Amino acid sequence: MKLSTAVDGASTDILAAAGLPVLWLCALGVFAVISIQTVMYIRAARAAAPAAGMTPADLKTSFRAGAISAIGPSLAVALVAVALLTVFGTPAVLVRIGLIGSVAFETGAASIAAGTMGADLGGPTYTQSVFAVAFMAMSLGGGMWMLATLILTPLLKRGDLNVRRVNPAVMTVIPGAALLGAFFALGFGELPKSGTHVVAFLASAAAMAVGLGIAKVLKRRWIREWSLGFAILVALVAAYLTVNAGLFPTA
Amino acid sequence: MSSVNPSASALRDFDATTGRWGRLTMVAGLLLALAGPAYLVFFSGLQVDQAKIWTAFLAIAGTFGVLWLVEPLTYYPILGQASMYQAFMIGNISNKLLPSAVIAQSAIGAKPGTRRGELAAVMAISGAAVVHLISLLIFVGFLGSWLVSVVPAEIVAVVHAYILPSVLGAVLVQAVVSQWELRMTVIAGVVAAAVVFVLVPAMPALAFFGTAIAVVSTAVLAWLLRDKRPTTVAAEPTPAPTHEKEPARD
Repeated sequence: MKLSTAVDGASTDILAAAGLPVLWLCALGVFAVISIQTVMYIRAARAAAPAAGMTPADLKTSFRAGAISAIGPSLAVALVAVALLTVFGTPAVLVRIGLIGSVAFETGAASIAAGTMGADLGGPTYTQSVFAVAFMAMSLGGGMWMLATLILTPLLKRGDLNVRRVNPAVMTVIPGAALLGAFFALGFGELPKSGTHVVAFLASAAAMAVGLGIAKVLKRRWIREWSLGFAILVALVAAYLTVNAGLFPTA
Repeated sequence: MSSVNPSASALRDFDATTGRWGRLTMVAGLLLALAGPAYLVFFSGLQVDQAKIWTAFLAIAGTFGVLWLVEPLTYYPILGQASMYQAFMIGNISNKLLPSAVIAQSAIGAKPGTRRGELAAVMAISGAAVVHLISLLIFVGFLGSWLVSVVPAEIVAVVHAYILPSVLGAVLVQAVVSQWELRMTVIAGVVAAAVVFVLVPAMPALAFFGTAIAVVSTAVLAWLLRDKRPTTVAAEPTPAPTHEKEPARD
């Protein structure tokens, strides 16, 4: 144990900084906040149920249906989260990937943040300082969604904002294009790094395409949910085999 | 008859309670989520240059900023006030929370948009939240941390080095499939390739904002070249976009 020397900006031992007790406390705090919210909401729903024509059995059935249908997706998210543990550490993964954020946005944001410092996530340039900046920047970015929700929800509730008046093309074309532009650029940005990066990227994309294709043909939603985790595993195995076969000079 | 309708006031109470607690818990969640990285940056002894944080944040804002506004606007008609504060804190909205809510509504025969439907959604999302919190704590918090500690260093090194392309390949395919729009996909692919393989190598100073440049250019081109055929000028006001497109946050 050398906790006292754990923090060193130039060190590439990310997990020493990413596993600090304070980060664990904050992560567990987010769990506690969501638990409190859930309890208060259930109590409010119980109180309002008779007025909405809901029986106690309806409440219980709804809760159980929600819980059961969340089991598969939750485990799928957990699998993806575990794959990212060595890059961000457990507390950051729990909060950013597991809860508030999402795999796509958070890894994208962290990659962009590392890029602005001339570093690569996971590479030899990925130091504790780079992690700290990336973690802060991705948290601020994720926080903007919550801020927007906090500001817009009361306005929408009062009917002050009428989204229907906006040209619907604005609401579909612009975000759709932004999403595609972002993930094409982030994905392509991985390719020049090394041959193994190309292998991992292509294996991941191919496995995802196969997974989504099977899900569509067999009409099984659970296959779609697990496709991302499956694709990541396939890509990592491909990368491992490529590295061990010595196909490319080390990245 | 009293002038106060008891069921109306019970439902007003529900709105007031969930609005108040929703906002309160979301602010608390926001602050806690920022407290961790803020501690690391300011108090852990790492010498972090704050200017770097703002540069990184600007690059992220240029890439994802439009989604910050559009996603809450898109989800509100589906979720309603109460569940908005749940959904944007728990995450995984389109692949977990929405299906949970829909399944619960059909289980009790409640229609979306009605008060019964709204309460069913709140209960379903609460059930989903409980399952999700427990599964994260057990499988990521405990088992995951343990797994990382026993996996051979050689494998950890590979995961560490190649996790990003391994995630982004699949995420790109997911984004393409969720939009399923050939024209937009071609535009995005060509623009991104031009930025990553031509523009950035030619002008390395732009590398910091390469992704943001690709996003803005794609959005502008997709808008100018969009399919302008009738659907948008139908006599009937077109309904607000619903969930047929899956936003990024899933």
